[in-house]
Amino acid sequence: MDFGLLFSEFPSLTFDGIALGAIYALISLGYTLVYGVLRLINFAHSEVFMIGTFAALMASSNIMGVKIEDDPLSGGKLILTIVVCLVVAMLTSGIVAVLVEIVAYRRLRKRGATKLATLISAIGVSITLVEAFRIMTDSLPREFPRFFEKSLVAEIAGAQIRNDKLLVIFAAGLMMFVLDRFISKTRIGKGIRAVSQDEQTSVLMGININRVVTVTFLMGGLMAGAAAFFYVLVYENTSFRVGFFLGISAFTAAVLGGIGNIRGALVGGFALGLLEVYGSVLLGTAWKHVIAFTILVLVLLLKPTGLLGESIQQARV
Amino acid sequence: MTNRILDLSNVTMKFGGVTALNNVNFHVNEGEIAALIGPNGAGKTTVFNVITGVYTPTEGDIKFKDQSIVGMKRHHVTKLGIARTFQNIRLFGESTALENVMTAADVHNKVGVIGSIFGTPRSRREEARSKEKAMELLEFIGISKRSGQLAKNLPYGDQRRLEIARALATNPGLLLLDEPAAGFNPSEKKALAETIRKIRDAGYTVLLIEHDMSLVMGVSDRVSVLDFGTKIADDVPAKVQNDPRVIEAYLGAPVDAS
Amino acid sequence: MINLRDAGATWWENASKLKRRSLVVSLVVFIYALPFLNNPLINTPGSMFESVLFYPIGMFVLLSLGLNIVVGKSGLLDLGFVAFFAIGAYTMGVLGTRTNLNFWEILPIAMGLAMLSGVLLGAPALRLRGDYLAIVTLGFGEIVRIVAVNEEFIGGARGIAGIPTPPDLFGMKFEILNPKPYYWLLVTMTLLVYWAVRRMAVRRPGRAWDAIRQDDDVAQLMGVPTFKYKVWAFVLGAAVGGAGGCLYASQILSIVPDQFSLNVSILVLACVVFGGIGNPFGVMVGAAILAYLPERIRFLTQPRQLVFGIVLVLIMNLRPDGLLPRKKREKFESEMK
Ligand SMILES: Nc1ncnc2c1ncn2[C@@H]1O[C@H](COP(=O)(O)OP(=O)(O)OP(=O)(O)O)[C@@H](O)[C@H]1O
Ligand SMILES: [Mg+2]
Repeated sequence: MDFGLLFSEFPSLTFDGIALGAIYALISLGYTLVYGVLRLINFAHSEVFMIGTFAALMASSNIMGVKIEDDPLSGGKLILTIVVCLVVAMLTSGIVAVLVEIVAYRRLRKRGATKLATLISAIGVSITLVEAFRIMTDSLPREFPRFFEKSLVAEIAGAQIRNDKLLVIFAAGLMMFVLDRFISKTRIGKGIRAVSQDEQTSVLMGININRVVTVTFLMGGLMAGAAAFFYVLVYENTSFRVGFFLGISAFTAAVLGGIGNIRGALVGGFALGLLEVYGSVLLGTAWKHVIAFTILVLVLLLKPTGLLGESIQQARV
Repeated sequence: MTNRILDLSNVTMKFGGVTALNNVNFHVNEGEIAALIGPNGAGKTTVFNVITGVYTPTEGDIKFKDQSIVGMKRHHVTKLGIARTFQNIRLFGESTALENVMTAADVHNKVGVIGSIFGTPRSRREEARSKEKAMELLEFIGISKRSGQLAKNLPYGDQRRLEIARALATNPGLLLLDEPAAGFNPSEKKALAETIRKIRDAGYTVLLIEHDMSLVMGVSDRVSVLDFGTKIADDVPAKVQNDPRVIEAYLGAPVDAS
Repeated sequence: MINLRDAGATWWENASKLKRRSLVVSLVVFIYALPFLNNPLINTPGSMFESVLFYPIGMFVLLSLGLNIVVGKSGLLDLGFVAFFAIGAYTMGVLGTRTNLNFWEILPIAMGLAMLSGVLLGAPALRLRGDYLAIVTLGFGEIVRIVAVNEEFIGGARGIAGIPTPPDLFGMKFEILNPKPYYWLLVTMTLLVYWAVRRMAVRRPGRAWDAIRQDDDVAQLMGVPTFKYKVWAFVLGAAVGGAGGCLYASQILSIVPDQFSLNVSILVLACVVFGGIGNPFGVMVGAAILAYLPERIRFLTQPRQLVFGIVLVLIMNLRPDGLLPRKKREKFESEMK
């Protein structure tokens, strides 16, 4: 255990952890939103994210014509490229998420099928999507071009601030803020909250469940798409497998914060990002998922509703 | 001197801001039919829930046969001798009527998983005993014809009756009935009153929650009244009926005194 | 659509004892004889039919039967079942290469270790609500794999090679190139598990699990020690997984952590739900089909997993309760003696 490194690098690690946490938080929003409304784990959400990374890749090479070997972009072209890639990734993931709902969930939901049947249906969609992309990419990882030179832009309290991660933190923070406003201010957003709290009463109050569900998946997809773009921006590669571990981590984050609770997803995402970064330094990267899960289990045992508490009502007998 | 089988002292139950029970003192004597009445939302079901361990009371103590049962595991409370029915029927719908009752009858069995796999003599003995007892109870409650049907497919009245049979299968010293006559017609109510008396005569103690006043007044030995989580009366039926505070509590709420 | 299950069950109930016996016997004989029925109609192009019968088909049937105790009977969503399979396989691998113990001596140890880890995982995890159990078990499955990758004592990422085969049995040689004895042993184990599962289902544990699955709160209030029965379900499932893993390792002779990924858990779960969750017979049929299908369509080299995914979605949408759903047959008075 390398405590020395942890202490000497603590500020920089914290910064990296926040950047990673921002990506987790964005993905975990999708899990939490869907769970809040349907009480189901959206198993295909990791693939919504994965497709977002490929959409960003397509946008950069096919729409903006950026090639791997190109020099870094600058000025207007850089900003335009970033915006186009982000928007394309978000829209693609959003649409895929809505389609996932229609294909995997809708019919079963109408028939009142069991949770497990729905879960398997979502797993089927997940397998289909992963396999489709595996075949299309010949099982090979894909490189993502470097849009701009990655450099240290500042040092705050000993933390090395890298420009790409800083961008991610800011942009992700903005997204979360917009989502939070959307959920708390708009009619449909309030509908999402109402259904999360008490589905039966919401139906009685005239809320259109189908619309709420569609919008919920769309929101989750948009956030996952944004996360996907940020991911390729920072890590500069993707593969058909990329959703798997990020999905597990993001779901862990959602549970950690209190699943169904939107702010909980944010807290959980950042907490997990930090823990994984610190943990990797202490025990080696191989163990970071083990650390995440161990902490998750401990949190659940001590506080079964997650850090911020879930939005689920107390069970009545 | 009558013997208190159940004794609640200073029980308070809070749910967040809601105080469902406020410093309730309440007891049931061995061998009687006691009734618990009160307007909707008075806290009657909550009394059952704290007795059976669904909730741990915020404050106060609950004694069953002179033993404190607060914080005890739910299945231990049942094994000790308290069984209940549910206001909104909660049968095991996908199991047959017989299986529903046998599940509860298993509480006093000792056979475990391994014994069941190998069909040890004890396993066979206990299986047979559970089945026999369950059939007896279905017979007693009048639905033995339905033993092989799924609980969810039984007619409404039979589901209520099956709930009673299932509770009786645990050999309860104290039987808690939560609105067992809800949705019954007058002749069914009469039959139910008869059944409750028979249960008492067989040596069980009964605590009954019921909105139908004629049923309550006709069958119970003693009636306690809850209002907004507070006990406001506790006496023989005739006196409770004329208690001005009870009448006031029910003002606005229809008094079903037919 | 004709209701397969009802048609079958009605036939079964009306059949004479002799008919039933002969059906069961011929079915069992057919299953044992499968390795000899290697013909183009049913065999699996691209891989050896006998070996496919052992893994994946037979193995997934066994594992699904084990997971069905957990998911189907007691309604606990376990997404980390592969952990027990891995523990069984690694026990065989480590003890087989480092001690003189043979397969038959290691098998109970493997099952015991799997059961022990079932208790260690179950005791805290089973107190959690359903969906949390899913994620905690999923994490456990991954942790076991990560430990296997990183722990040099058990071979790290290279895994363990040179695992011994079981000693001869009734004159049959267990060899890598002759999977038949393994298959027969596996079928025998599966039948034993099926027998045990059927016994439990109609007795006290079955009733307790049914109650827990349908309404945990009410089950407790009716005196069912729910926690204890959940742990039992977990432990029994673990024992089956451990036994399967032990046999698997002794057949393929070298194991690497990648064989024990989350995909295995998901596939086994898919088998359970696909076949008809909670109905052990349906689960076995479902597992056989799901494990066989990708092998049979191996000529579609690339898209076979893709087809698998699509089939899962289609089946779940068309028959959400699986191929042969659990359905209690009701008995009305007139039919009862
Ligand atoms: N789990 C819970 N969470 C929050 N509030 C609760 C809970 N259980 C009961 N309450 C509240 O406690 C009060 C008493 O409820 P209770 O169900 O005991 O009433 P009751 O006398 O049985 O009414 P009814 O005649 O309608 O059955 C009500 O205000 C109810 O909303
Ligand atoms: Mg009530």
